[in-house]
Amino acid sequence: MSTPQALDPIRLEIVHNALRSVADEAYIALMKSAYSTNIKERHDHSAALLDAQGRLVVQTERTIPMHLGSMLGLLDSIRRKYELEEIHPGDIFAGNDPYLAGGTHLPDVNLAMPVFLEGRLVAFACNVAHHADIGGMSPGSMDGNMSEIFQEGLRIPIVKLVRRGEFDRDVFDLLLTNVRIPRERRGDYHAQVAACRLAERRLLELNRRYSADLLEAAFDEIIARTETRMRRAIRELPKGRFVVEDFMDDDGLGTVDIPMRLAVEVGEETIRADFTGTARQVRGNINSPLSATVAAVAYAVKALLDPDAPNNEGVLNVIDVVAEDASLVRAAFPAALANRQQTCQRIADMVILALAEPLPEAVVGGSHGATVMAFFSGTDARTSEPYIYLEVIAGGAGGRFAKDGKDGVQVHTTNTSNLPVEAIEMEYPLFVESYGLIPDSGGPGRQSGGLGLRRVIHPLDEACVFAGHAERFRHRPPGVHGGGPGRPGRYQLEDAAGARRDLAAKAAGVPLGTGMRVIVESPGAGGYGAPSERTPEHLLADYESGKCTRDHLIEVYGFDPEGVAE
Amino acid sequence: MARFTLGVDVGGTFTDFHAVSAADGTRWRHKLPSTPDNPADAILAGLDVLLGEDGPGAEAVAWLEHGTTVATNALLQGRGATLALITTAGFRDLLEIGRQVRPHMYDLQKDPPRPLVPRHRRFELAERVSSEGRILNSPSEAEIDEIIDRVVASGAEAVAVCFLFAFLNPENEARVRDRLAERAPDLFVSLSHEVHPEFREFERFSTTVLNAYLQPVMARYLDSLEDRLAAAAPGAPLDVNQSSGGLMSVTRARRFPVRTALSGPAAGVVGAVEVARGAGRENIITLDMGGTSADVCLVQGGQAQLAFDREVAEFPVRLAMLDINTIGAGGGSILWFDADGLAKVGPESAGADPGPACYGRGGTAATVSDANLLLGRLPAGGLLGGRMPLDVALARAAFAPVAEHLGYSVERAAHGVIEIAVANMVRAIRAISVERGHDPREFSLMAFGGAGPLHASDVARALAITEIIVPAAPGILCAAGLLASDLKEDFVATARIRLEPGAEDALARTFEGLHEAARAWFRAEDVAPDARRVDAALDMRHVGQNFELRIDLGDQSTTEGVSLPDTAALAELFLRAHETQYGYRSADDAIEIVNFRLTARGRPPRAPDPVAPPHPETSAPATYRPVYFEAEAAVDTPVHGRDRLAPGQRLDGPAVIEQLDTTTVLFPGDRLRVDEASNLIIEVAPL
Repeated sequence: MSTPQALDPIRLEIVHNALRSVADEAYIALMKSAYSTNIKERHDHSAALLDAQGRLVVQTERTIPMHLGSMLGLLDSIRRKYELEEIHPGDIFAGNDPYLAGGTHLPDVNLAMPVFLEGRLVAFACNVAHHADIGGMSPGSMDGNMSEIFQEGLRIPIVKLVRRGEFDRDVFDLLLTNVRIPRERRGDYHAQVAACRLAERRLLELNRRYSADLLEAAFDEIIARTETRMRRAIRELPKGRFVVEDFMDDDGLGTVDIPMRLAVEVGEETIRADFTGTARQVRGNINSPLSATVAAVAYAVKALLDPDAPNNEGVLNVIDVVAEDASLVRAAFPAALANRQQTCQRIADMVILALAEPLPEAVVGGSHGATVMAFFSGTDARTSEPYIYLEVIAGGAGGRFAKDGKDGVQVHTTNTSNLPVEAIEMEYPLFVESYGLIPDSGGPGRQSGGLGLRRVIHPLDEACVFAGHAERFRHRPPGVHGGGPGRPGRYQLEDAAGARRDLAAKAAGVPLGTGMRVIVESPGAGGYGAPSERTPEHLLADYESGKCTRDHLIEVYGFDPEGVAE
Repeated sequence: MARFTLGVDVGGTFTDFHAVSAADGTRWRHKLPSTPDNPADAILAGLDVLLGEDGPGAEAVAWLEHGTTVATNALLQGRGATLALITTAGFRDLLEIGRQVRPHMYDLQKDPPRPLVPRHRRFELAERVSSEGRILNSPSEAEIDEIIDRVVASGAEAVAVCFLFAFLNPENEARVRDRLAERAPDLFVSLSHEVHPEFREFERFSTTVLNAYLQPVMARYLDSLEDRLAAAAPGAPLDVNQSSGGLMSVTRARRFPVRTALSGPAAGVVGAVEVARGAGRENIITLDMGGTSADVCLVQGGQAQLAFDREVAEFPVRLAMLDINTIGAGGGSILWFDADGLAKVGPESAGADPGPACYGRGGTAATVSDANLLLGRLPAGGLLGGRMPLDVALARAAFAPVAEHLGYSVERAAHGVIEIAVANMVRAIRAISVERGHDPREFSLMAFGGAGPLHASDVARALAITEIIVPAAPGILCAAGLLASDLKEDFVATARIRLEPGAEDALARTFEGLHEAARAWFRAEDVAPDARRVDAALDMRHVGQNFELRIDLGDQSTTEGVSLPDTAALAELFLRAHETQYGYRSADDAIEIVNFRLTARGRPPRAPDPVAPPHPETSAPATYRPVYFEAEAAVDTPVHGRDRLAPGQRLDGPAVIEQLDTTTVLFPGDRLRVDEASNLIIEVAPL
């Protein structure tokens, strides 16, 4: 049996290593040659190899977890539309529509290129990238006030953008005509196409060393081994059905306190996430398509059980998601869903909290559970040019079994960096007054939740408009195992006289006059364990560092740090 | 009497010496075990040997060039100063928030390292500079003094002063510095506009804080070293190697210790570049493989590539450093099986103690060195000319359970371990070549370190590299690199200027300011006018982009002032670089300059190339031994002593070449010749 190309654990590791290099190289090539800042700087993109059946074989490790779901429905969508004989070397398919092409929201455009080795279809080289604009009623295609998908941008069903190596100019024209700044988007598409072709070329090179049969066997084996490792981890868990409930704050268009319900069933070797009982889909665009919901569940399961497991179909195979059609977590046409990440962040929190009992050492308190966004736009008086400054402000991460939650950090499905204060002020007519941790905002606990962040900004010019999009401004991030909830976030507007008022969590079109400032506060996170178990040493350190005030320590912990000092 | 320039590189395991006579290029090399408790001990011991009874005498050391891991170790072991920070009001948490990202996408337990300054020692001062460099808020002397008193009361040994936009207007930082000198003269002080005068506050603050953290440690070490050298080598100036591959005076090393954080591997690359120069090669990829890790670096046109976004001990350091990619693949790297049953090698290493099983010091894990021994690639007679015996039976015992688990022969399992280690190195090289737009086939592989030449042929073949160079003394390349280094200082000014006709004056003015600073540095460092070199560069981007491309403008030292291309030519340089890097050009988009840079170099007088050593008698191989090149069968292979190979000699693989500090493996079909500088030049047989 032992042919030179047999798949032992050594050869498999070497082939897996080579396949990961292919995905990494495509990922970096795409990042470098794309035009959108989302791709270049926020790294909101991903590269992957799928096998001929559409199973995920490798995906770049740096990929943000949201993209684990982006490739899920892609191949099914292609095969629904095209017969095998219609798929040719050099073809590249494009799609973004959550209802027709397996996308998760319209700005994420998927590309897939069939790779033929030894005359047969063996793999697809795929990538997904968040374009800075995909058309629709608002610049950036992400505003919170959109209520059906047609407003959110150009819907691309699966189309052949490239046929046997040649761009379909008509299709390309159509795509570019329907977006803002088509010249830049052309650059993004070219970057994605180049990344597909690079991956194809690398696979052809690998085929010189490894036969198509061997590569296909390796695909099976890689997926099977990851699946086995996940199954083994699940087998060791206490079995049971664990239910959590939470509420989304609002959809921005009038629906508030939207119930979410999740039952996580730990089976023999699989985990089922049953969302039955979760609200119907809403008008506002926080609806999540099933693929994004699955990605959020998969993220949480992998984070709890095996953070180092490779990103492939094997992780997804142990997860079963049940959700009612046309619900908040399984959006049906024509629900709007540009901001599905708010719901996905919540889903990740809920899966983690549901597993508090079987996984006491791995789970963490509810995290800030949102993407707290701040948009400032206007015209720069210095240059007379329009500007849009968009930022996602991180918040607290949940308290842990043996450690406090991290303060001011991105959690779960996203991990984008901030823009330096010096970059903001050089680039935009804005002034950052302060940027720091919010004392007392972490949920109390034996291990406290991480602190939220406060950023205070005022415009230098009069003509500036603020918009926000956030969650957990009403419903606080819960603690776990007796830990208390984190403080909610808020947007505040302060006028020239110093009077403050709260803005909505999905605030849109707030004009900022002279002397006004916006205060953005992200939520803290839930604590872990009973506050009464927090040690005096920790409480004194909280006081010494200024992360908790004396009043807070007395009120929440019954601990007077100045009393102890004497 | 012959005067020597001495390069001393202190590594984790060994301290290497390389001295060259200024008169006739005579080389002297030596290697001693390092003395981590006080690295100066090994340096002085080496000097004793050099200057011993038969040596030329103490005053023979004309110059001492030093690579040190003092800063690196202090960082890794957390042995730096107790620190305070004085920063702009409203921003004391900036250091802790960083870029608000987490280090591992899925790991809920993993955090970035704690800030080196705890929150209660981070003090805010009511000061502010605008994005145009205007002072918006000027603190009173009383306010400054109050903060200084709190810093002193906090028990800090060193303080970092980090204000927003201080790189545009350093006045507020300078005022605090002046008051500190009066009120707390014993405190070590680092200012952000001096350590790293560039925009993006978190990276500047972090680099400055690291510098302050290292100041007391480095000062103590250099003070003691200088004291002892004053007796052992009086009158010899001491220079310290920087991570960017140039030297700085000991005075500057005390002020900017953070610049030495990666100086060790940097010296090795500089040494490799020097060897390549001697061999007439400009494009090389270095492979420096030791006991625990492998360092790879790409050198193009004789220039090692630089990186500006490195981390040391997980802290960002935004200083120019050689772009060295380090992976956990060394001789001691251990074979293990992951949760999914896949075989992995490293990053865990058996290190030097217990070391690989075959060292006989109690190690039982199967390592890369054990695999090489089982395959006959390492000599059963031991390393270091037999001073370090290797035990094949112990290596076999370590591999037996693994082989049984896999259902393989021990040799086949060992071959698999080498394959995985090679795959890891190949991936590391792809990351610095293919992923940055370079084709590795256009480069020679320069292999050094104890284990580099053992694996070079495998690595080269996997990357379709056709030539390997093994230097004459692959074990002390770092010390040799020190002798090839220039004194070097980088000057930078941040000024956003649109690149449009009429901007020439502003450009020239900004550069003139940098030239002035460079001239002052040349005077302070006593660099002779004909040994000076100044290179200019601009960081440019399209307006609206948030990343810059560095455009080199080349040598500016021939003119007193500045001779710049006009704005149209600069734009063309930028667009071309943009196209190479990103694949497209947008000629209609506005371009702006963000940073102006000058690199000043003082060239120390170069020693003449060495007189070729007398050609040893070419001789037949001493021995033969079975070597496994494939997993299945061994080939009886000649073993040559490196000292028996004369320039001009040729060998065809298979062959093993042994020398004191490394072993080179020549695969069947590989062809070797020895060049005039005694380097091994290997033509690699294709896959």
